[in-house]
Amino acid sequence: MKLRKTSWLVISLTLILSLFLTACAGNTPEKTTGTTDKDGTKNEEAAGEPQKGGDLIIGSTGSPTLFNSLYSTDTASSDIESFIYDGLVTSDTEFNPTFSMAEDIKASEDGLTYTAKLKKGIKWHDGEEFTADDVVFTFMIPKNPDYVGERGSNFESLEKVTKIDDYTVEFKLSKRDASFYPVTLSYFILPEHILKDVPVAELGEHEFNTKSPIGTGPFKFVEWKDGEYVKVEAFDDYFKGRPNLDSLTYKIVPDMDAMIAQIQAGDIDFAAGVPGTDIETVKSFPGVKVESGLALSYTYLGYNQKNDLFKDKKVRQALTHAIDREAIVNSVMNGDGKVADVPESPLSFAYNDDVPKFGYDVEKAKSLLAEAGWKDTDGDGILDKDGKKFSFTVKTNQGNKVREDIVVVLQEQLKNVGIEAKPEIVEWSAFIEQISAPNWNYDALVLGWSLSTFPDQYDIFHSSQMKEGLNFVWYSNPEADKLMEEAKQILDQDEYKKAYADIYKMIAEDQPYTFLYYPNVHRVMPENLQGYVFHAKDDYYEIYKWWLKK
Amino acid sequence: MLSYIIRRTLMAIPLLLGITVVSFAIMKFAPGDPTSLMMDPTISQADKAKFMERYGLNDPVYIQYFKWLGAMLQGDFGTSLIRKGVPVMEMIMNRMPNTILLMVVSTMLAVVISIPFGVISATKAYSKLDYSVTITSFLGVATPNFFLGLILIMVFAVQLNWFPTGGVSTLNEPFSIWDRIHHLFLPAFVLAAADMAGLTRYTRSSMMEVIKQDYIRTARAKGFKEQKVIYKHGLRNGLIPVITIFGLMIPSFIGGAVIVEKIFTWPGIGLLFVDSAFQRDYPVIMGLTVISAVFVVIGNLVADILYAIFDPRIEY
Repeated sequence: MKLRKTSWLVISLTLILSLFLTACAGNTPEKTTGTTDKDGTKNEEAAGEPQKGGDLIIGSTGSPTLFNSLYSTDTASSDIESFIYDGLVTSDTEFNPTFSMAEDIKASEDGLTYTAKLKKGIKWHDGEEFTADDVVFTFMIPKNPDYVGERGSNFESLEKVTKIDDYTVEFKLSKRDASFYPVTLSYFILPEHILKDVPVAELGEHEFNTKSPIGTGPFKFVEWKDGEYVKVEAFDDYFKGRPNLDSLTYKIVPDMDAMIAQIQAGDIDFAAGVPGTDIETVKSFPGVKVESGLALSYTYLGYNQKNDLFKDKKVRQALTHAIDREAIVNSVMNGDGKVADVPESPLSFAYNDDVPKFGYDVEKAKSLLAEAGWKDTDGDGILDKDGKKFSFTVKTNQGNKVREDIVVVLQEQLKNVGIEAKPEIVEWSAFIEQISAPNWNYDALVLGWSLSTFPDQYDIFHSSQMKEGLNFVWYSNPEADKLMEEAKQILDQDEYKKAYADIYKMIAEDQPYTFLYYPNVHRVMPENLQGYVFHAKDDYYEIYKWWLKK
Repeated sequence: MLSYIIRRTLMAIPLLLGITVVSFAIMKFAPGDPTSLMMDPTISQADKAKFMERYGLNDPVYIQYFKWLGAMLQGDFGTSLIRKGVPVMEMIMNRMPNTILLMVVSTMLAVVISIPFGVISATKAYSKLDYSVTITSFLGVATPNFFLGLILIMVFAVQLNWFPTGGVSTLNEPFSIWDRIHHLFLPAFVLAAADMAGLTRYTRSSMMEVIKQDYIRTARAKGFKEQKVIYKHGLRNGLIPVITIFGLMIPSFIGGAVIVEKIFTWPGIGLLFVDSAFQRDYPVIMGLTVISAVFVVIGNLVADILYAIFDPRIEY
C-alpha cells in the first residue's frame, strides 16, 4: 500500500513540474517574434492624421483617494485630476512654465505682483463659462484659516488674489518667491459656481471630490467603481480641442505582478512606472511598445548626521569612494540608470555637474578613513576607533526590489574597506515613522527623491528643516543655508542657475548623502498609440493629443 | 432552540467588544500613521500636524478608542482618513457584495465537490478512485492559495486566454451573468481548493467510521438499498463532525479571501483590508474588523444550529 502511494506522489510531482516547464517554455518564442515585429514597424508609422475614437485602459498600482488637488496627496489621484482639471500654467517637456488657461502672465518689477489674463471661452464640463471668479475662489481656499489640507506651504508667499475684471486676476505676494509662477500658478482651478457655498472647513470632505468632480480639463468624470476603475470620457468643448480618444479607463490593480500579467494578457493598454528590472520581459509582449527616459528623481544613501559615525565629512566622502555605484547600476538595475553626483536631476535647467566627485576608489576610501582615525586595531576585519566598531544598519522600505537589493550590495562593498553595514528592510509606514522627526531612528538609509519640476533644495538640505522637515539626515552647513535662502528670492532663471551651481558644489563636497543614481522611467503602451510625447514628470503629457491608429 | 440562539447572540457581544479592544490596540501600536503617505517635499510639517489634530489622532489611544466605540455603537463607523469624507460603511458596502459572492460560490463549490468525493472515497476505500481522490486532496491542502492562483493565472489566463486575469467584469461591456461567472471561476476555484481538500478528507474519515457502525449493518440487514443506507443513514451521521470543521473554516474563508482577492484583483473587502492597513486608514480597518468578526461569530452560530438539525440527539 505504502509503496503505491509514493509512486502516485512521484507521478503527480512530475505532472506539476511539467506544468511549470510549459508555462516557462510558452514565453520564449513570443519573446523573439515580439521584439523583431516592434523594431521593424516602429519608425514607419510616425506620420498620419489623428484618428478619433477608442478607449485606453491605463493600469495603476495605486488606488485614487479623491479628485481635488488641494487635498489629495497620492499619484493615482493626481493622474486623474490631470485628466479632469486644468491650471493657469503647465510645464513643457523641459519644465519651462507655459500658459494653459492663462493668456498671459506679467510679473511686476519688484516680483511681488503677478497679473494673469485668462483665455476667453473656456467651458466647465457642465457648460458654465470659466472666469476670474473661479481663479480667485481656488486661490483663496488654501489661504483660509479653516483650510485643512496638505498644500498650504505652496501658497505661503501669496497674500491676496483680486479679480480685476472677468478675465484678469491679480496676485499680490508678501515676498519674492521663485516657485510662485511655475508651481503655485500650476494648481488646478476649481469651479466657483458649484463650490462657492461650501464652507472651506468641509471642502476636503465634500462629495464633489469623490462623486462629481467638474473641471475644465480634456476629460469628463463618468464613474468611479471602488477598487476597480475610474472612467472619464472626452469633453467635446475642451478649449484645446476635443481629445482624440473617446475615453480613458483608469484600472486599479493590486501590485506590479498583476499589472505585468494583465499587460501580457492585453487587459491593460498603458502602464507607467513598470520597474526597469521587469522592462525587458514587458518588451517581449506582443502589441506593446515601451517608451523610456530619465526620471525626474534620484536615489541616495543618506547618513544620519546625528550619529557620531557620520559627523565627519571625510568619513562620508570615504563611504562614497568605497561604494561602486557603477556596479550597482549595472548589476542591480541591469544598467537601467545613471550614476548621480548632484542632488538634482540632469533634466533640470539648474543642473550643474561641476561638483566635487568621489568615484569608486577603495584605497582612497581606506586612507580617508585612516585620516579620520578609523583603524582595525583588533584585527577582526572591521575598523574601530576609541573602542567603537564601524558598524551600522542601512534601512530601506519594503516593496522596492531595487532598493532591497542595493542594501545587500552595499553590505558587500563596504566590507572591503572594513565597514559593517547591516541591511534592514521595513514596511513603508513604519519606515517613515522611524526615520523622520522626532525619532530619527536609523543609521543610514536608502531612499529616493522625486523632484519638483522647479529645482529647490531648501526643504531637503536647509538646516531649518532638521527638527521637523525633510532634512532628517541633519545636514547643516550655514554657508549653504544662506545661499539657499537667497536663491528663493531670485526670479531670473540664469541667476538662479548660477546660485545653485554653488549650492550643489557645497552639498556634493559635504556628501550628506551618497548620491547613488538617476533612475529611468518606463511607460508601456499599445504599439499603435500615436501623439505621445515623453515628459519626465507627466506620464500623461498632452493626453488630449493621443490617438490610436486603426 | 430560539432561546439558545438568543443566548448565543448575547454571549457574542462581550466577545466582539474584546475583539475591538485588541484590534484597536494592535492597530495603534503599529508604527506609522496616515501622514506617512505624505512624504512629499511640498507638504509641510504644519499641514501634517493640522491633519493629525483635525482627526483626533493626537489624543491618547484610549480616548480615541472610546470615541470610536461610542460612535460605532450608534451605527456610525466614521469616515475614511485617506479618502476624506467617504463613510466607512459606504466603502465596505461597495465591496461587500463582491466578497460575499466569492465566498458563497467557493463554499458551494467546495461542498458540492468534496462531500460526494469524500463519501465515494469512504465507500470504495483503498480503490484506485480513493487513491486519486486522496492524492488530489493532499495536493490541495499542500498548495498555498497564492501559488495555485498564480499558476492558474499564468496558464489559463495569460497563456491560454480562457479566463480573464482578474477583476469582476469585463471593462466597457454591459453586465452579463456569463461574464460574471467567467470572472468568478478562477478565484472561486482557488479559494475552494484548500477547503475542498480538507472537507473531502474529513468526510472520508467520518464516513468510514460511520459505515462500520451497527445501525448501518442493521439498515443493510433490513434490506434497504445500499444507496439509501449510505446517503440516508450514513451521511447524516457522517456529516456531524464535518459541520464543525465547516464552521471553523469560515474565518479562513475571510483570511483566504484577502490573498485571493489580491491575486485576482477582486475588489472585495479583503483587498480593502490590505490597502487600509498599509495606509493606516484606522476607521476603515476597524470597520472591517467588526464586520469580519460578526461574520465569524454568525458563521459559528450557523454551524451550531446545523449541528442540531443534523444530529437528532442534540437538544438545546
